Amino acid sequence: MKRKLSLVLVLVLVFGIIGVTQAAELPFKIGIVTGTVSQGEEEYQAALKMVARYPGSIEHVTYPDNFMQEQETVIGQILQFAMDPQIKAIVVCQAVPGTTAAFNTIREMRDDMVLIMGLPHEDPDMIAGVADFAMESDQERRGGNIVQIAHQMGAKKILHYSFPRHMSMELLAVRYNNMKEEAARLGIELIDVTAPDPMGDAGIPGTQQFILEDIPRQAALHGKDIAFFGTNCAMMEPAISASLDAGIIFPEQCCPSPFHGYPGALGIEISEDRKGDVDYIIEQIGLKVAERGNSGRMATWVAPINMVFVEAGVELAIQNIQNGLDLSDQAAVEKAVFDATGIKLSLNRYKDGANFYLVIADSVIF
Amino acid sequence: MSHVKKFVARNAVPILFAIVCLLGVYYAKMPGQFLFMEIVKRMARNSFLVLSLIIPVVAGMGLNFGIVLGALAGQIALILSTHWEWAGIGGLALTALLATPMAVVFGMLAGTVLNKAKGREMITSMVMGFFANGIYQFVFLFLVGTVIPFENEALRISTSPGLRNTVNLSRIRGALDNIWTIQYGFTKIPIVTFLIIALLAIAIWAFFKTKLGQDFRAVGQDRHIAGVAGIQTDRNRVLAIVFSTVLAAWGQIIFLQNIGTLNTYNSHEQVGTFAIAALLIGGASVTRATIGQALMGTFLFHLLFVVSPSAGQAIFGSAQVGEYFRVFVAYGIIAISLALHAWRSKSLVKASMEEDVSA
Repeated sequence: MKRKLSLVLVLVLVFGIIGVTQAAELPFKIGIVTGTVSQGEEEYQAALKMVARYPGSIEHVTYPDNFMQEQETVIGQILQFAMDPQIKAIVVCQAVPGTTAAFNTIREMRDDMVLIMGLPHEDPDMIAGVADFAMESDQERRGGNIVQIAHQMGAKKILHYSFPRHMSMELLAVRYNNMKEEAARLGIELIDVTAPDPMGDAGIPGTQQFILEDIPRQAALHGKDIAFFGTNCAMMEPAISASLDAGIIFPEQCCPSPFHGYPGALGIEISEDRKGDVDYIIEQIGLKVAERGNSGRMATWVAPINMVFVEAGVELAIQNIQNGLDLSDQAAVEKAVFDATGIKLSLNRYKDGANFYLVIADSVIF
Repeated sequence: MSHVKKFVARNAVPILFAIVCLLGVYYAKMPGQFLFMEIVKRMARNSFLVLSLIIPVVAGMGLNFGIVLGALAGQIALILSTHWEWAGIGGLALTALLATPMAVVFGMLAGTVLNKAKGREMITSMVMGFFANGIYQFVFLFLVGTVIPFENEALRISTSPGLRNTVNLSRIRGALDNIWTIQYGFTKIPIVTFLIIALLAIAIWAFFKTKLGQDFRAVGQDRHIAGVAGIQTDRNRVLAIVFSTVLAAWGQIIFLQNIGTLNTYNSHEQVGTFAIAALLIGGASVTRATIGQALMGTFLFHLLFVVSPSAGQAIFGSAQVGEYFRVFVAYGIIAISLALHAWRSKSLVKASMEEDVSA
């Protein structure tokens, strides 16, 4: 009995110490708003990671799955943080429509709030004036990059899958144009494919089914040296699996990350302790792709960019509140992001006078 | 049948919804201030839209999913008013004025189509909404900048034809709400907006006292008998849809001046479904809707949507399971409401048949 008791005591002490070293106390709270895992697992997992890192100091809520229809709920979910005087910063990733409206209202209620957006969906010129800090993948530079990577992997043609709602997003339209220009320069043909909008009447399954059926069709028509690029997250898992089956090229996802689509499409099990382990997942994807005989034709970014957005958002907010980090100082922000996440991002300011940064990371070819 | 039983049977839907809402309020443990603020805001935004549904119901055309057309008219006017830089309450009034003729035309077209689809108005109006959405996208994503000259850096996508996906309505944001507000804690109660909603409610009530209103009611009760009595049924049905469409256009403008941003291609999508859900939850049915039901329904529907995310999270301790639970409860309850309607109308028919037999 005594021995058992002492064992329990030792365990309590050991875990207590581990707990203390991992967890940090903050003198204030931060609110995080992400989607649920049905929209994208990365932001959600990153938010959980932050809750574990700063226990009791992070409040995490989700926006509705059909955020387009329930915009009032999106606004309400963000707005509720403003009622808690302890909350000094809000990180919304992805910053779906409604975020700007919510931030505008919060500004009227509180002047001490740091408002951060990751992956804003609304118009960049508009959000640049509202958020204290915003981050988005550099769609403009990516346009050229995607074509170059596809070219490097042997693509003769590139298929661009999208739909009108996405093509009305300024940055996605610019990215598409840059893809076109770069493709013309390299002598690659860019083929437009219009897929059903996952927010439309057929929903996400309609889009996914279209992708699964269309890729083999295109491969039969144009041969194997074509590359797939799609603008929507729900397309990625079926696209990766169909690209592997058809043996075509897959340069990167809409939101590049080793975690986006690859684990599901390749059937990679990620155990609890491996969640968020980037090196492990990259190694596993390489093995599976080689097994299916498509090595050198599948790629993504070295970093799960949406996770970096959430983590960096929280850390930058803390740095800003506690140490007065100047969010408009590009070099300081780059360094702070590297210190916090260990990932080197190349930042590019969207326009002068706003802390809206477009980021890009290196690619890894499996 | 005892009075209590009758009351419950008549109001089963709102009672059920109120119970779920109370449970939600209890579990969500939200700050009362926040709850109050959200409810005031949502009532101010949505009541006008929900009220715009009443006239077609009374005229026997069911729930007008076609108010999406009205919302589109409102949005087109808002896009133009942003382009011409109209500002303030004057700008907002002009915008509403600009939306009116468009809504009248849309309403007349819709009404004409619905006259060809008598007895199937609801599904027809719903599909018409999808169709109108397609045309709207075609015009604003393709024609604008190619066929229709439209040079405005803030509105146009810089590299291809079409409008940007968000329009900043900062010039008219709160134009109506902020004319006269009463501050209560965090909440700014927009008095003028509520006055306009009250005015509309009174106008609808008064309208049904007029000759035209009575004609609408007669057409709604029995199209054939109304026709025999010399009422121009088809013309009245078109008029009912025109009224509804115009009101919806104004309602959408009120909604968007409160939000402050327009999602060019999405803001109108949920309008029909959510307004109709709110009306049904208030205890209205396909054949009967009152102003009280519309306002009560708006209140209950939005109360549930305000408390359910936090309630789900509090009950399950996980942000995401909370969200799934919320969707399950919110939409599940709406489905139950519809089933209860069917059950209630059946039991009412049965009751009246029994009365007939005993008489």
